[in-house]
Amino acid sequence: MSDRPVRRRFEPGTTIADLKEYMEPFVLRLGYRFNDDEEFVAEVLTSEIEILDQTGDVYCPCRVRTGDPREDVKIVCPCIPFYADQFAKLQKCWCGLFVRTDVEDGSELHGVIEVPEGPAEVPVALAAEFPPGTLRTVRVGKREIALARVGDDFFALGNVCRHAFGPIGQGFLDGHMAICPWHGWRFDVRDGTTDHPGANVATYPTSVRDGYVFVTV
Amino acid sequence: MQVKLYALTTCPYCRMVKRFLDDGSIEYELTEVDTLEGEEKEDVIAEVRRISGGGASFPVIVVDDEVIVGFNKKRIKELLNL
Repeated sequence: MSDRPVRRRFEPGTTIADLKEYMEPFVLRLGYRFNDDEEFVAEVLTSEIEILDQTGDVYCPCRVRTGDPREDVKIVCPCIPFYADQFAKLQKCWCGLFVRTDVEDGSELHGVIEVPEGPAEVPVALAAEFPPGTLRTVRVGKREIALARVGDDFFALGNVCRHAFGPIGQGFLDGHMAICPWHGWRFDVRDGTTDHPGANVATYPTSVRDGYVFVTV
Repeated sequence: MQVKLYALTTCPYCRMVKRFLDDGSIEYELTEVDTLEGEEKEDVIAEVRRISGGGASFPVIVVDDEVIVGFNKKRIKELLNL
């Protein structure tokens, strides 16, 4: 065991109000808000405070902690980024503490944990923080996607360059061409094509709503 | 009809299922996985993963051979003829 002190997000004596104040701003950026059912939220956060007292951090109360830190890190609350595509389909996180911002009434989603089949529109960025000419990598569940904005249009393509597996999203945009930062391979963000035959990357539909950019996977 | 409930003491949906089953006077075998330890806990978690298709979300309700993940009231009522 390392002797480095563990940083704690929350001190003993943290209340439900403290948790809400801490989590709200950053879950909004992830495309989620607290469930409308306030009693339910209070119940979940009370459980999370119990878990905080036992373990020193806040974990999802609907999942079991295995004791292996590499596994348990995936259920530190909010665990949204680790399950981005599944939650996008469920429209909430596992326990329903958080619901997607585009959900009308969160209390209708109570109890459902089975992920529906089919594609998901996953919120990946705030349009306001993504000015024209920006190219960035976003993670959707296990996928890495290069997100580009040309004018007012957003494009999403696979992040891995077909040349030497460089990170396209860390390159730069020249009009509609995303240029891989490692060796300069150029990918047209509209269709994922490149000059080299057979080396295209996948593209994903995008949409913008209520200030969020969505990628459909 | 054999009803088994795998739950966590911290999980609000687990509490809801327990209330639901108790209100319906349904007998069930309760396993609160977070109260177990060591090898027994590992074995039960592996079992839950196996029957619920890989994940480890709770509650998991087993009615004979049918597995329901989450508090899916409609499905539970169907299987228990409520």
